[in-house]
Amino acid sequence: MAEISVALAASHTPGLTGWLDKAPEDDQRTVLQAYAAIHDAVVESETDVLLIIGNDHVANARVSEYADFTFGLAERHEGPDEWFKPWLRVEDYVLPGAPDVAEILHRAAEATPTRVRAVRENLRFDDNLSVPVTLADLASTGVAVVPVLQNCTVPPVPDQQACYSFGQTLGDAIRTQLPADLRVGLLGSGGLSHEPGGPRYLEIDEKFDRWFLDLLVEGDHQRVLTEATFERMEEAGSGGTAELLSWLVVMGAIGERPCTNLGYAAVDQWRCGVGAVQWQLDPARAGQ
Amino acid sequence: MALDFFDPLLRTNDLVQDLKWDEALRARFENSEEEVLAEYPLTEEERTAIGQRDFKRLYELGLHPYLLSQLARLIYGTGEKAGTSGAATALIQSLLGDEYEKYMASRGA
Repeated sequence: MAEISVALAASHTPGLTGWLDKAPEDDQRTVLQAYAAIHDAVVESETDVLLIIGNDHVANARVSEYADFTFGLAERHEGPDEWFKPWLRVEDYVLPGAPDVAEILHRAAEATPTRVRAVRENLRFDDNLSVPVTLADLASTGVAVVPVLQNCTVPPVPDQQACYSFGQTLGDAIRTQLPADLRVGLLGSGGLSHEPGGPRYLEIDEKFDRWFLDLLVEGDHQRVLTEATFERMEEAGSGGTAELLSWLVVMGAIGERPCTNLGYAAVDQWRCGVGAVQWQLDPARAGQ
Repeated sequence: MALDFFDPLLRTNDLVQDLKWDEALRARFENSEEEVLAEYPLTEEERTAIGQRDFKRLYELGLHPYLLSQLARLIYGTGEKAGTSGAATALIQSLLGDEYEKYMASRGA
């Protein structure tokens, strides 16, 4: 029925909008080019609804009652959340939502073992949405957005396999339960290596990051699931690197597809490895 | 692993979230921190650790690392200080204690 029209993933660290100019010019260019490619991919694919799957930085629920995936059912999504504004330094944005689509996908997700919930009110968005929305200029594309906020850091965290399976459920629901002419895109938001609030806060594990991106480009999903585990991500930077689990959700939804590295930069002041990828989708075979 | 100490029942977790979500409370915290801490259902240990900016102690008591870094930003500020590592530096200094100098030397120059 509906088709997955575009599949992307990119980092969202707040430095990219809050202090982009602290980085060497080459790195700034790498980031801006990657995000321009994301913008173009969304436009050229004629995507109607874009799922932005990204970790919640404990912005929307108490840590003692924390869902694994939160679907944003609002008619419009406004951001960034007030407290994050001085830090992110992005313009306020309003994006159309897609409540009907979100509701169907939420219901499908309830069948997975993860804890899911749906929220009709405007969610609080930090860098998870604000950075891609701003750098890829999503508002100008006219695309409707369904935010899917993910738990990557409050135990028990759904691991890489659970996230991949969750992605498969989303992919199946898109292909079988959404209207035939609807074009649905997926953007995983988060990563790469970083350790927010921990002793290695100032460090980036560039070796891990390049290895991970190479693994994705190589394209063997079983290998990714076996080697790029939640524990391995935690080793590369606890509490932050596991944001890459959102990329696993996208991969589960689309299955194995050729993957292109859109660029990578390791800039100390951003306190996070920054990279992006795009998967090539065959429009004639948008499913498994 | 940074999540080893995490305790979802530690009330400081809730305090940091309330400070993020409630502008009025945040303003009161900036002006009369002790009053806000006294009113909030915290243990004395938590109050002391917050007052002393003992991030390491808060981490050990079970404050979630995100909320720890956000508390540092609440205390040391964001805005025009964004991109400087004021809050991050204070946090690392606390977490690493005596090891801090050696650690920074191994990274620096």
